[in-house]
This record gives sequence, structure tokens and C-alpha cells, in this order.
Amino acid sequence: MLRRSTILAGAAAVFAAGIASPALAQDEQEIVTVVKVAGESWFIRMEEGVQQFGEDHEGVTARQVGPGRADAAQQTAMIQDLVAQNVDAIAIVPMDPSALEGVLRRAQQRGITVVTHEADNLQNTQVDMEAFDNKEFGAHFAEQIAECMGGEGKFTSFVGSLGSLTHVQWADGGAEYMEANHPDIELVSPKNESFNDANNAYEAAREILRAHPDIKGFQGGSAIDVIGIGRAVEEAGLEDETCVYGLGLPQDSGQYLESGAVDGIAFWDPKDAGYVMNILAKMLLDGEEITDGMDLGVPGYENVAVSQGPGEGIIVRGQAWVDVDASNWKDYPF
Amino acid sequence: MHHRSLDPQLLFLLFVNAAVVVAAMVLTGPEFTSAYNFQSMASQVPELGLLALGVMLAMISGNGGIDLSGIALANLAGIVGYQIAVATVDPSVAPLSYILVFSCGALLIGVIGGAINGALIGYAGVTSIIATLGTQLFFTGVAVGLTGGSAQMLGYIPMFDSFGNVPVMGIPLTFALFIIIALAVAAMLKFTKFGTHLFLMGSNAKAAYFAGIPVRSVLFRTFFLSGILASVAGIVIAARTSSVKWDYGTSYVLAAILIAVMAGVRPQGGYGRVVCVVLSASALQLLSSLFNFMALSNFFRDFAWGVLLLMFLAFSRFDYRTWLPMRRPS
Repeated sequence: MLRRSTILAGAAAVFAAGIASPALAQDEQEIVTVVKVAGESWFIRMEEGVQQFGEDHEGVTARQVGPGRADAAQQTAMIQDLVAQNVDAIAIVPMDPSALEGVLRRAQQRGITVVTHEADNLQNTQVDMEAFDNKEFGAHFAEQIAECMGGEGKFTSFVGSLGSLTHVQWADGGAEYMEANHPDIELVSPKNESFNDANNAYEAAREILRAHPDIKGFQGGSAIDVIGIGRAVEEAGLEDETCVYGLGLPQDSGQYLESGAVDGIAFWDPKDAGYVMNILAKMLLDGEEITDGMDLGVPGYENVAVSQGPGEGIIVRGQAWVDVDASNWKDYPF
Repeated sequence: MHHRSLDPQLLFLLFVNAAVVVAAMVLTGPEFTSAYNFQSMASQVPELGLLALGVMLAMISGNGGIDLSGIALANLAGIVGYQIAVATVDPSVAPLSYILVFSCGALLIGVIGGAINGALIGYAGVTSIIATLGTQLFFTGVAVGLTGGSAQMLGYIPMFDSFGNVPVMGIPLTFALFIIIALAVAAMLKFTKFGTHLFLMGSNAKAAYFAGIPVRSVLFRTFFLSGILASVAGIVIAARTSSVKWDYGTSYVLAAILIAVMAGVRPQGGYGRVVCVVLSASALQLLSSLFNFMALSNFFRDFAWGVLLLMFLAFSRFDYRTWLPMRRPS
């Protein structure tokens, strides 16, 4: 036994010593985009933007990675490995911003440029990019829902999870808008959690339809909420009685937009968001200043608003939402 | 050298660890073998490693023993510890006492949670997979109830952050803590009466009972210990991320079991070695970091873990000694 292990260890050592690590001579800037979870249509679309950026810019390697499961721990581990790898910049869509403070602080101490998206409460970031003001986005849905409801009745809201800050902000923004402008609209069982799963959204919507048969308005949170809600509404045959608005992707929600189960969706194009995050990362790498009112050359980001973030970094906001309904969803290939 | 200390499982784990490092040197740049990366990887091991130790103890206890409530209890411990600390101490005035109150609060929850698991399994006789599934949901429910589902920010406390993220003399402190705890568990299993009883009970509960081993009490203490290990994991998580949240590490439940099984802990009970659990955890970490360095998809990593697990299972069933030409008495 002993001899066997000695030989084994010896062989490994010789093998290790004999191979010089291939040192890659890289002057290229490496920007890595880390998303919440890999393989979801939203982030597949974002990857198109990241790759586009890589193609458009010589001297930049842009790639996207993401954990196989939506778990803040796995995302943290991934970022930690990227920091150890010493990439030039990381652009992150955090699963849970607060869990990343420690690892991002270390990243910046190591001289790695950090850009984030959908995390305007994160302290250890240099630039947080938001497609728009989240409260306004929520109010925008509520406005459409209120008009569709005729200014009276019950409505409810969905979120991916209570921990998803932006989703909660949309739900709150919608609720505040209703309270301020439509006293006859009543909010019932708000912020249902779908956990980014259409089946959960469907189950939750069915429960709400049972508990409140006269409900008229639904505000979706995560991109798949409207799909689940739409399915429940379709099953109940309430396409014409209900008003369903929320974040959604045109191709995923198309069939429900056609049937009227979902009345309208809005989104920001994740492709543009991925592209813009990389623009901002490259600007930081090149030492360029990001200023209020700047034109980043991407639709919806032609006149960005720059404000101070909660930490040392800044927040860059665009006006990049796109409204889609039954008439124009086919124009978007994702 | 003692025969047991060089069992094939241990050798194979050492080989896998070495093989991954060698593969990394070939496949990726020099960054992988930098001190920074080894520190970074070492600091990632403890949270999962501590949970895997808990699962190991539960598995050794036999009768399909398992602890599914680990990460849920770890998160709950962090949350309650935070709420106690924030209500009693101002971190900007007395950071050390803030950390101590936080840690004690978290450990207290580990004690309570472990005692609940232990009582359910040891004294009420509930099957561990059912009992810990129940307590997992219960702990998660309490954690969500206490926080409304949002993350609790501990704030940036330099001392605590350093504990979680800054190595001392080249060694991350959380990793040192993990190794100390692993040594303590190993010593306990080897030298105390409890350890002996645990292995005997795991091998044959009925025989152990008739031999006068206090089976219920041993079971209670096993899950009690697992609960305390989980709360230590909760403290480590809080130190690393400066925050606590109910759904952190939901993928750890299965990963901890995977580590324990790959470490050769017998799922039927009665056998398991701490050193193998540590090596199994480090092998998984090396592999996972290697794949991240190579920019391979995370789905591929899950696939590789699966393949590795199957390899380990096959290896542990295959007794190569019968194939050796010469068999010397050891």
C-alpha cells in the first residue's frame, strides 16, 4: 500500500513539475458578465448583447457566465473564482446584491473593475446600471392596469421573490401609484412570490382567482409571472374581465397576448442591458468619465441620468422600457 | 503505518485532488496555482464542509440517517444572531462585542435547532429524512417570517469581514476554523465513548441496543452536534458575505450529501472518516473552480460531479486487492 501511494505521489509531482503552465500573452481586456442563472431566455438574450459587444470592440474579450441554479451562494463562488483569475472587469446581475458586498470589496481591492445591474442598493460597485427608475416602471404598469380596469376593482401584484429588490420596487411603485390616483382600486394579497417559475405563478394566480373571483388587475413581477397568470386567466375564461400587465418577454408571452389573457407587457431589452454594462465596464477600464446626460449610443440609453449610489460608486439610469401588446409582439425575436 | 490510515478511498481522494491541480496547471493559466487562488478556494470550502461534516455524522448513525436541515438552520442561526446583535450592540462603537453577541446568538439557535432534530429523531423515533425535511421547512419558515424574506445587512465591520475574507499568515481564518473543527470531530469520533457508540450503533442498532448502548441518547447527540456545525456554517457565511438571508445556499443541501457520499461515508451507517470528508470537499472545490477558470458551463459542473460520484461509488465497490498477484499480510 505504502509503496503504491509513494509512486503515485511521485508520479504526480514529476508530472506537475514537467509541465510549464501555458502563460497566455494577453493584452486584451477581459470583461466577464455574470448573470443570476444560466440558460434562462432573459439571460440568453443578454448573452447576445455581451457577444455583440465583443465583436464590435477589438481588443476586448467579452463573455457571459452564470450558475446552473439560481442560488446566491453559487453566484458568489463564481465571482470569487473570477477575482482569483484576475479578469479585468466583472459585470454582474446579482441574485442577491447584499450577499456580494464582501466578494466585490475584495475584487475592487484587487484592482478589478466592477459594474452591476439591477442593484441600486449595492455599496461595493463602481457603476450600477439601471434600465430605468424602478418605481416609475411599477407606476407605468399600474397606470395601464388602472385604465384597463376602468378605475375600480381589485388588483394584485407578483414578485419573483421578496428578496428581489427590483421586483419589490415595481410592486411598491404600482401600489403607491394606485393609492395616490385611484382610490376605488383595492390592492389584495400583494407581492405573491413566483420564485421565477411559471408554474408557481400559475398556482398562485389560481389561488387568488379562487379567493377573489371578482379580481380584475394583475401586475406581474418576474419575466415569467405573466405567463403563469395568463394561463390561470385563460383556464378560468376571464380573458376579457381581467387586466394583466407586467414584465415579460414577447416570444414567451405571445400566445397569451394573442388570446387577451395578458393585455400588455413591458421590458427592457436584456441584450441592450448586457451591451451597456460592457460599455460602462470598458469606459471605466479606459479611464473615461461617465457623466449625466451622456449618450451611450444604445436606444433608451441616449440620455442617461447619473446619480450618486449608496457607496462610492454611481448609478446610471436609462429610459429603456419598451411597451408591447398583441399588435407588436411579433416585432421582437426573443 | 496503520492500515486504516491508508485506505483506498483516502488514496483515491488524494489522487483526485492532485489530478485536478495538475489538470488545472495544464488547462489554465498560472493564476490557478497562485497563492491568491488557493486562499480564495480555501475560503470557499468551510461553509459547505461544515454542513458535510454534519451530514457525515447523521449518516454514520445508521438507519438511513441524513440531515437535510443544515443550510436552513445555518441561515436561521445567522438571522437570529443578527437580530439579537443589532438590538443590543452598536457595531460602530463595539465591533468585537457585536460579533461575539452575533456568534453566540447564532450558536444558541444551532443548539436549539440541533436539539429539536435530536429530540425528534432520538426520542420521538421519527425517521431522520422526514424529521429533518420537516425542520428544514420549519427553520426556513421562521427565517422568512422574521425577515419578511429580505436580506439582513450586517454592515461592513472590518474585523468580521477580515475574519471571513482576509488570510492571516497565508491561511484564511474560516478555513483554519474549519480544519480545527474537523480535527475536533475526528478526535471525538476516535477517542470518546460517544464516538465508539456512534459507530457501533450505525453498524447494527439492534445489537448496540442490546449491548447496553444508550441508542436514543447517542442519536440525540448526533443530530445535536450536526445542528451546532450548521450554526457555525451560518457564522462563516455571515462573515464572508456581510449579510444573512433565508435562501442563501439552497443548492448546498444536495452538495453536502454528495461530499459525504464521495468521502466514502457509508449511507447505511457505521463508517465514515473526517479526513475523507475534508478531502472530498476540497476535491469538489478544486473541480468547481477549475471549471470556472475554464469558463465551462455550470451545467457541465453538475454533470462532472455526477460522473465523479458514480466513479467513487464504483471504486468503493471494487476490491482491487483480490486482483493483486501478491498478497502480503499487513
